[in-house]
Amino acid sequence: MKILVINNHGQYNHRINRSLGYLKYPAEIIPNTTSIEEVIEKNPLGIILGGGPSIEKAGNTPKYIKELDIPILGICLGHQLIAQAYGGEIGSAGIESYAKYTINILDENDIFQGIGETMDVWTSHKDDVKTLPPDFKLLATSSACNIEAMKHKDKPIYGIQFHPEVHHTEKGHLIFENFHRVCKEFKK
Amino acid sequence: MLNPSDFINESIEDMKNTIGDKKAIIALSGGIDSSVSSVLASNAIGDNLIAVFVDHGLIREGEAEYVEDTFKDRLNFISVDASEEFLDKLEDVIDPEEKRKIIGEVFINVFERVAEDVSAEYLVQGTIAPDWIETQGNIKSHHNLALPHGLVLKIVEPIRDLYKDEVRIVGSELGLPAEIINRQPFPGPGLAVRIVGPITRKKIEICRKANAIVEDEVKREGIEDSLWQYFAVLTDTMATGVKGDMRDYGYLVVLRMVESLDAMTAQVPELPWHMIRKISQRITAEIPEVTHVSLSVSDKPPSTIEFA
Repeated sequence: MKILVINNHGQYNHRINRSLGYLKYPAEIIPNTTSIEEVIEKNPLGIILGGGPSIEKAGNTPKYIKELDIPILGICLGHQLIAQAYGGEIGSAGIESYAKYTINILDENDIFQGIGETMDVWTSHKDDVKTLPPDFKLLATSSACNIEAMKHKDKPIYGIQFHPEVHHTEKGHLIFENFHRVCKEFKK
Repeated sequence: MLNPSDFINESIEDMKNTIGDKKAIIALSGGIDSSVSSVLASNAIGDNLIAVFVDHGLIREGEAEYVEDTFKDRLNFISVDASEEFLDKLEDVIDPEEKRKIIGEVFINVFERVAEDVSAEYLVQGTIAPDWIETQGNIKSHHNLALPHGLVLKIVEPIRDLYKDEVRIVGSELGLPAEIINRQPFPGPGLAVRIVGPITRKKIEICRKANAIVEDEVKREGIEDSLWQYFAVLTDTMATGVKGDMRDYGYLVVLRMVESLDAMTAQVPELPWHMIRKISQRITAEIPEVTHVSLSVSDKPPSTIEFA
């Protein structure tokens, strides 16, 4: 069973596929215009929502978030779309954020296991999540962005603002390993 | 990790099936991407592959000789000097995207002519993943994807899903010389993306000299393998200076050095300060048209690696 990577037109979406491939996790990158029926037909283990330049080009991603009952990891725009779907507010970042930042991990939860209290990550975003959606808890924060990572209180839905898939995020692979484990456990 | 021998076998098999017993030309710049693609294609179709090196007038010092010496005995090799054609079309063009598009179009014109001469039906290109990712994202149009309407040559891109570090692994497995594998990437449009504003022969010469000095000093320092790219950009900003008690008014040159694994993200590392000083001193002394040298410190993102 595959993890599907939803291509939201971000530069690093293909890199997510590479990161999963290097961990030997079966994965497939699909356009965000794929219908929800086609996605369900593929019987995915989980989905990863890639980043992208604009909400207008997010295609069916909001539908996947609402209608699929499988683990979801949103990255950058994917994270913002999860927040929006669950009633959080998104908007222009007070401070635009590029290249290296250190995030503080408040709650390692599932997704940050094995990483420690802080993590050096690469960022590239003009927008961010302003208010946490009601059913979510905050997992990580940084000097540039209050909501670097969050998780749904009951469902395996995770959002992260930074990019674990690029080479310069040194421990990024641990995020994918943790997400893959969540997917496997959910399947049982 | 990528398994290079599996990749090589699959790639050769694919090209055999696609190209069959037809002829193909390959755009060979001498960089790692086109070199690896050439060797893969030549393993697939043998002598039906003709490797074409095009001098667009925007190449580095000694480049044409280097590529010819490396490949003339390994492949069916043709060298084409099309510099007049490229530089004429680029005259007075300022917009960097326009420059990239023009270069892409002229490249295709040249390859179409060569293909006709040798009756080739396929064009093999060394496109890699970041090339088409950035083109799709409208960040930068990469020269080897700007295909005009009505192109008759069928395109084959054997390494389009690989990143540069993976291409290097495949190159080692294929037994390419270490020098080619470790060579710093050089963009297809060449010095055109390192000259801000209109391109003239004079500015190409200044830019080429400055780049040769950077390369020379980085190698003298012995840090070339730790850097992804190291180069000089000729800006169109003029600065006032004083050379030998005389007022001087010349160009600003920007030095750029970054480390990266796959060009998707890049960082400006700590650099030896004495080397930077030496480069500045040499450029302002050896190139009379340059008055001022500065160092770029921006990462990717938000910048890109090349300037334009």
